[in-house]
Amino acid sequence: MAIRGKNNAMMATEAAAGPVRRLNWQLAHVRDIVVETYRVKSVVLDVTDWQGHLPGHHVDIRLTAEDGYQAQRSYSIASPPEDELLKLTVERVNDGEVSPYLVDDLRLGDEFELRGPIGGYFVWTVATRGPLWLIAAGSGIAPLIAMLRHRAKRKVRTPALLLYSSRSLEDVIYRDELDAMARADPDLRIVHTLTRKQPNGWNGHRGRIDRALLAEACFPPEQAPNTFICGPTPFVEHVADLLVELRHEPFRIKTERFGPSGG
Amino acid sequence: MDETPISRGFRSRRQEQAPNNRVPPGQYVTTDFPVLSAGPTPQTKLQSWNFALQLGASLLGRWNWAEFEALPQSTAKKDIHCVTKWSKLDTTWQGVTFDDILKSVGLAESPAPYIMAHCDGGYTTNIPVADLIGGKGMIATRYEGSPIPPSHGGPARLLVPRLYFWKSAKWVRRIRFMEQDQRGFWESLGYHNYGDPWKEQRYDGD
Amino acid sequence: MAENVSSLVLDGNAAAGLLQEIFVPEITTAQVECGGCDHTAPIGSLQLYMSGMGAVLRCSHCDGLVMRAARTAHGRWLEMKGARCLRFSGDMAADRQC
Repeated sequence: MAIRGKNNAMMATEAAAGPVRRLNWQLAHVRDIVVETYRVKSVVLDVTDWQGHLPGHHVDIRLTAEDGYQAQRSYSIASPPEDELLKLTVERVNDGEVSPYLVDDLRLGDEFELRGPIGGYFVWTVATRGPLWLIAAGSGIAPLIAMLRHRAKRKVRTPALLLYSSRSLEDVIYRDELDAMARADPDLRIVHTLTRKQPNGWNGHRGRIDRALLAEACFPPEQAPNTFICGPTPFVEHVADLLVELRHEPFRIKTERFGPSGG
Repeated sequence: MDETPISRGFRSRRQEQAPNNRVPPGQYVTTDFPVLSAGPTPQTKLQSWNFALQLGASLLGRWNWAEFEALPQSTAKKDIHCVTKWSKLDTTWQGVTFDDILKSVGLAESPAPYIMAHCDGGYTTNIPVADLIGGKGMIATRYEGSPIPPSHGGPARLLVPRLYFWKSAKWVRRIRFMEQDQRGFWESLGYHNYGDPWKEQRYDGD
Repeated sequence: MAENVSSLVLDGNAAAGLLQEIFVPEITTAQVECGGCDHTAPIGSLQLYMSGMGAVLRCSHCDGLVMRAARTAHGRWLEMKGARCLRFSGDMAADRQC
């Protein structure tokens, strides 16, 4: 039973929250490819028998070459459950095997195998009480934008704060969409920091996320924010350690480490 | 699915080698040295490091770092083959051969047919002694002339290049002789008990 | 040559694909009690070492081995000697602690 589309958004989230079905490989068809930055694209997929998902879930994809060689990778779902089609955001990793194919070679109409949704631990929905605190570096923004898109579609007033670290302004993924979201929503605050290069006249933060920035752009521990940190492993661990030093409750901090290269 | 769908245009970036006398079947050659681990990297200081040979409840020998370094040193240039399919050719190692370790405790031959290697962090692997003697195995302390970094198994790791590289246990601290073979960490989770790359013995049941 | 192994640690959540081949209910939110130090946490929050050979999940308090899983050509393996018990709640509110 396929449950998709914005009219069935509530049913989609409930179906995804119900008993988990056996995880099977399904076929995903490429319906659109969106350029996000000079090395990041979003792939929009139609998955035949998709049963719905929750913001923060990821999928495994599997590519098979003509000689039978297979490669498998995991990607966060960047689209909210309210969207009809699934969106994955992929950053090209230079010596990678899968990301250069997805970013440079993939065409409309192509297909590959996909299974999911998986990883209910790193999930947030509007049903969760408490402020939402999101901290990302680079492509770590992918699962977190799914949460923000879901929050926006549901038009809830949950206080939300995104702290987003990027190398330069050109590297900020979903830049215009995030700006528009923040302008339209007084309960959403977005703080950018640019670590390597800043444009002339940049008034925002520079350099890596540090203790001072976390103490300033935060929900205080007493407000018990639901905190999600995503990005390369060293970034996530550094931020998580700082949050614990700043007296945030460890069990409210969920991390998704991408490993050394950032996905 | 009856037929796995092909992803148009996707191909492997690795060159699988046609088996020849250097590269076992199913492997590709890399110039990298991938780091794979089942746990945090132990950071054992040389002053607290020791290495032991054990048979039952008896300690056949124990060396601290200075004592171990004083044992006869050998150098070996070997090809190594990981079960995850990468092979690295002509790697140079220095350390103490298993033969010299046995000699140093006055043993002309091994007291038992099998060993279990025990390592910092809890990793274990089992190996028939026949694959360690006659120059086939060493406890290595240097790679390419420099001390082995902790991420690659330093201060000392086992080197058994004729078997898949999971058998070349990192952070080795103790060799325990066994009368009966017992399965180590990966051998007890579906991997082949012996692990001969030339017979592609990757998994239990191969 | 010396790559920093700590950057190879992931969260238990990243093993979801492999683990869901073995477990039917949602596994990443299941609470597991470490047999080494008694700390209880969701499987999704464990320290995951994925070496290409299998998934090794360790307690984030004591680094003790909690569970291991591997998919080989001949089947799937799971070992959980390091876990005292596993609890699946019926509830998908993944941020609630038991």
